[in-house]
Amino acid sequence: MTTPVLSVRDLTVSFPSEAGRVDAVRGVSFDVAAGRTLGIVGESGSGKSVTSLAVMGLLDENARVGGSVRFEGEELLGKSDVQMSKIRGNGIAMIFQDPLTSLTPVFTVGDQIVEALTVHNPRMSRRAAWSRAVELLKLVGIPRPEDRVKSFPHEFSGGMRQRVVIAIAMANNPRLIIADEPTTALDVTIQAQILDLIKTAQRETGAAVMMITHDMGVVANIADDVVVMYAGRPIEQAPVDTLFADTRMPYSIGLLGAIPRVDTSEKQPLVPIKGTPPLLVDLPDACPFAARCPIVTDACRTAEPELVAVGGDDRHRAACIRAEEIRAGRIDGGPVYPLPEIPTSTLESVPRDLRNPTLEVENLSKSFPLLKGSFRKKKVGEVHAVKGVSFDVREGETMAIVGESGSGKTTTLLQIMDFATQDDGDIRIVGTSVADVKGGRAERQLRRDVQIVFQDPVGSLDPRMTVFDVIAEPLRTVGTPSAQVGPRVDELMGLVGLDPSHSDRFPAAFSGGQRQRIGIARALATNPKLVVLDEPVSALDVSVQAGVINLLDELKVRLGLSYLFVAHDLSVVRHIADRVAVMYLGSFVEHGEVDAVFDDPQHPYTQALLSAIPVPDPVAERTREHIVLTGDLPSPTDSIQGCAFVSRCPLYQTLDDAERAVCDTKVPALSGRTGVHVNACHHR
Amino acid sequence: MVVAVTNLTYFLAWAYLDPRSNYVGRRPPLSEQQIVNLLEPRNLDDGTPLLVRWWNWFSGVLFRWDWGVSPTGQSVNDQVAYRMWISAELMLGATILLTLIGIALGVYSASRQYRVGDRVAQGTSIITMNIPIVVAALGLVLLAIAFNGAVGTTVFYVTGASSPGVSGFFPTLVDTIQHLTLPTLALVIVGYAQYHFLQRSLLLDNIKSDYVRMARAKGLTKQQAIRKHALRTSLIPVTTQVAFSIPGIFTGAVLTESIFAWKGMGQYFIETISKNDINGVVAVAAFGAVMTAIGAILADIAVVVLDPRVRVS
Repeated sequence: MTTPVLSVRDLTVSFPSEAGRVDAVRGVSFDVAAGRTLGIVGESGSGKSVTSLAVMGLLDENARVGGSVRFEGEELLGKSDVQMSKIRGNGIAMIFQDPLTSLTPVFTVGDQIVEALTVHNPRMSRRAAWSRAVELLKLVGIPRPEDRVKSFPHEFSGGMRQRVVIAIAMANNPRLIIADEPTTALDVTIQAQILDLIKTAQRETGAAVMMITHDMGVVANIADDVVVMYAGRPIEQAPVDTLFADTRMPYSIGLLGAIPRVDTSEKQPLVPIKGTPPLLVDLPDACPFAARCPIVTDACRTAEPELVAVGGDDRHRAACIRAEEIRAGRIDGGPVYPLPEIPTSTLESVPRDLRNPTLEVENLSKSFPLLKGSFRKKKVGEVHAVKGVSFDVREGETMAIVGESGSGKTTTLLQIMDFATQDDGDIRIVGTSVADVKGGRAERQLRRDVQIVFQDPVGSLDPRMTVFDVIAEPLRTVGTPSAQVGPRVDELMGLVGLDPSHSDRFPAAFSGGQRQRIGIARALATNPKLVVLDEPVSALDVSVQAGVINLLDELKVRLGLSYLFVAHDLSVVRHIADRVAVMYLGSFVEHGEVDAVFDDPQHPYTQALLSAIPVPDPVAERTREHIVLTGDLPSPTDSIQGCAFVSRCPLYQTLDDAERAVCDTKVPALSGRTGVHVNACHHR
Repeated sequence: MVVAVTNLTYFLAWAYLDPRSNYVGRRPPLSEQQIVNLLEPRNLDDGTPLLVRWWNWFSGVLFRWDWGVSPTGQSVNDQVAYRMWISAELMLGATILLTLIGIALGVYSASRQYRVGDRVAQGTSIITMNIPIVVAALGLVLLAIAFNGAVGTTVFYVTGASSPGVSGFFPTLVDTIQHLTLPTLALVIVGYAQYHFLQRSLLLDNIKSDYVRMARAKGLTKQQAIRKHALRTSLIPVTTQVAFSIPGIFTGAVLTESIFAWKGMGQYFIETISKNDINGVVAVAAFGAVMTAIGAILADIAVVVLDPRVRVS
């Protein structure tokens, strides 16, 4: 074996903080060889990003770094900023998480690429640098690079900006590319494009890649070797196939069990990992995972286990004293994690047609006027955010709307929550049409039946209100007698799995998952029939996400709720939803029962969307065919004559002229088996 | 807007100021008719109905660009035209200096956050910012007098904008600098801190931003990344504020000019009020309003020049 490009030995990073010294990274060792990809997986706070910044020498100055980082045999730790700047962007390049903020807004993308080139090649002429910049933009797939090179970052979409960032990373043919969650902020179809692009970049430059992510699917898709990090330490390290097939460390097993799969229809509950990761201050000499581990023994609490080879395979190492007992996620003949019990609903035996609808939406539309002119605003056009959407949600049912950002799913929710009167349609909530709701009293009455849970558990809770006040607020609004408020809040806290005695605390004292539970308790306070969930788990770590999903499942059964669920994560949707609608540019393109849609997608967009999601299984992932859509979502301000998907449709490319003419001129209607599975494509 | 404000000031000024009182206490006493004879041709006689006075004044401004005369018969136009350059002479240098010093210190202390240099600079700025201009000016005057005494010759003049009887280019230049130094110093001492703090906090926000980290990841050193990427973006709000203050150059500094006996716009403002010079007060207000408007326009232009995001469409 050749010498690795990057060799990290016993890396430690600590920061001073008010609570004491935070040991963010506590002894990380790994090698990355040329042409190979190392995936570093972990939840937030596991130290994976700090590790990558330590390699780059980009940590804050108050960070104390120990151990050794050797890049092509050269020790990097201890180098000054000036010495490191010779290596950064030249030998080692980095791709950051958020493409929206990682480009300087006041310089053109060309300037920024040229800067990356000239800073390492001072003798390169400006002309040569600019033509190389255009070449790089072409390489990363930006259309019309000659024109776009003079554009400013705000003129690009998120996916396009990430391409620019990758172009900058590739500029000097680095030997190592560090990608820190490069696709987390992007939609799935764009994620698939970017992952492909990183593979291209790797092929072009022969570089080693360090891929930092929390998504097991991305790891299965791209990595050769995997390091799983927890509480600042690697707890399992193996080639990707071994790791997925023969997981040894309970945390890795939990991480894999906690993610719903998009490619299977089984409806068994997810396995959440209880508790939260430890604070990295004054850690005792014990297994940091002991408090959350289902198979913990007394020995786990006496010393922190070393990362040692397991199963006689030197390349597979795990930090668990019971690793040899665990085979492929099972111990003593049973699973490491006992499956949680989820009660089944009596409603499920009632045929759907006989259940009462809690929400009926007929031909919902919403358009925003486009205004122009500085003094007198003239209307120059309309943005159709939602165009003629119809669906219904019945008792005890979960209806999910999926789509990329900008597809109109949130606007649909807000229209329903606003009780917006429709010109040419209707919204009926538990039989009451919103057109009949006049005056504050009737509106408040109806509001009891429909409540919302927001995406961001931090932003949606008033930080100056105690949890008691947060949950009691809707109760007081609907006029609950004050004597009943206290017991009801305690009941709700218990219902969502929180300790009622904590209700006098402020939201800041709770973790993300707990805060989302508070948000759910608040939504349930008025005994609603319908709960609208706007991306309720997308801001949570996977192990916590599983717990919230199970809670939602359980509450649905116990309280007979209906959910209207909006998400971009199709795996979560597959797990939780009974029915699903796929939205594209304000219209449903496919709508039906969840298994029918996911197992037999008809519309080319749905097919692409489903195939774009990486599944957490390296073997399946290698054989799966990914349909990578080209381009971005068209702007909703464009007026499109026929099918909105034409510009990106892979099927359209295979059609003959007569068939294409239909796509170009006629807006497709939903057709198929009504109520079961319909799609809006002329040719399916 | 400027027109409305100016007219409003005209009526407000008449409600509070009384040119007649300038003559009432005269020895020997002037007769009623004598006072009216003095005031009437200057459109300052309150015996004439207010609306008639207003129209005389307004039509003069509108058709002849004549802003009227003071109770002693001086032309307001001449006064403003002359004094705004006196003010500009003082304020231009001070504004440039305090902006440059403030921004430079802001950059210095932001890139050394919480180190000794930053703490010393911040501590100093907090103190200077809280010194009233009067104290700073008088303190400087005392120091300068002591210095002059120690050297034995007048190096710094503590009053006026120029000495009489100086001619020739270099003598005038030296004389001007001798007069200018002290008031400029006073203005800079109390004024630079605002830009220091503004620039420091804006730059700190930007230093922590992703694109500065990205710039460093490209291979720029930390100082290069700060100077090129963070500074450019954080200058936008600072420039806006500086642009706003540029017209202030011409409206002058009320206290500084009074202390150092500069006959600029700031001192004119005090003088017109104390001498019941209605036309002068209104002209000062109108001038200030126009300058504020120009400042707003300048600020907008500056943002458009610096920030490409605003330039679209």
